[in-house]
Amino acid sequence: MTSNPTVELVQTVVARIAGPHRTPADAGPDTPLTQGGFWLDSVHLLETIIACETEFGVVFDPVTDFNEQTLRTVRTLCDLIRSKRCG
Amino acid sequence: MPALKDLADAWKLRPASYSRAVWTLVLVLDRLPWPLGEEGMSASFVARAFVRTERLRQALAWAGAQSETNGSRWRLALALCARHGRFVARSALVGVRNAETLRRLSALLGEEHLSAAAGGVIFLGFHLGPPGAYLVLRVAGHSVTWIGGRGATGAWPREIRRRYQTILESQFFPEEDRHVWVRRLHQARRLLETGESVFISADGEGEPAFAVPLAGGALSVGRGWWALRRATGAPVLPVLSHMRGRTQIATIHHALPPPVADPDLDLETCRQALGRLLADHLRRFPDHCYSLAFPATANGDRP
Repeated sequence: MTSNPTVELVQTVVARIAGPHRTPADAGPDTPLTQGGFWLDSVHLLETIIACETEFGVVFDPVTDFNEQTLRTVRTLCDLIRSKRCG
Repeated sequence: MPALKDLADAWKLRPASYSRAVWTLVLVLDRLPWPLGEEGMSASFVARAFVRTERLRQALAWAGAQSETNGSRWRLALALCARHGRFVARSALVGVRNAETLRRLSALLGEEHLSAAAGGVIFLGFHLGPPGAYLVLRVAGHSVTWIGGRGATGAWPREIRRRYQTILESQFFPEEDRHVWVRRLHQARRLLETGESVFISADGEGEPAFAVPLAGGALSVGRGWWALRRATGAPVLPVLSHMRGRTQIATIHHALPPPVADPDLDLETCRQALGRLLADHLRRFPDHCYSLAFPATANGDRP
């Protein structure tokens, strides 16, 4: 775990959506969201994004915000959330 | 007659799921006056079944599983191949030069189900008949955003693309983007929440939500539309298409029952409602249901 509350909250959201059978035992902020990590597919990612929008009061732009970098790990998703909150 | 530049542009826009041979045939036959190209494509798919005999075997096996084949398994199998060719031609609007011809070739039924639904709705399409039911809806004057790939629209005449394809949806076409479906579904949710309607395929890519058992094979139904239903509460209206002569008829059906809190129960409710609808469609139009006879391969190849 980490002391960053945003990262912790996003990781909790991701683990809930992935479920126990997909969440690696050693999951952390740098665990990939998709292959080799939480194994989230596009629908799981959508659910994660919707949960983050609700939790953090941000609105993502589907044209510009979702790419290989922003949807790579819990940490990169947190970076995206931070950038939306600052913006 | 399309200009050579349009032809060159269209060649670059070949859908990943269409072989080079089929896409070449699409572009060549498109140069013939309506309806020769579509008829040619239909006949070529029948001829091809005797060359690629695996197709013929699939069609015969599938036809044999249907309860009503009017005594001829072969007749149904060949009709299926012919329909498949026609649908491939129709997906690219082979030989259709302008919006007026397109209007004459399409009709919409069941609009009363749409007026009963308030706000944005999820139109749910299937690969069990002529493609592009969303285009029929647009031609009939309904505003709807297609949630999916470019498909064969790269071969559409410029006039029709300009009139019936939106810039918004074309932003979500690139298949090489690994997260394209996340972007598409997020955009769909946003549209639904602002009262806009979307059209999405039930039996497309992605992890299945459930399978609907049908004569000759099960139809795998994806989770994308269901996630949108759960996230927005928007009514889901199944849309099925069939051909009457050379006219594509798209029928809007009753909305699925409203979502319930328990996801497992909700899935089962949807599965049962769609099962009844699809079984009836298969019984009425067995020669339209090519995706049951020719399931997509692992790389998405179908035509």
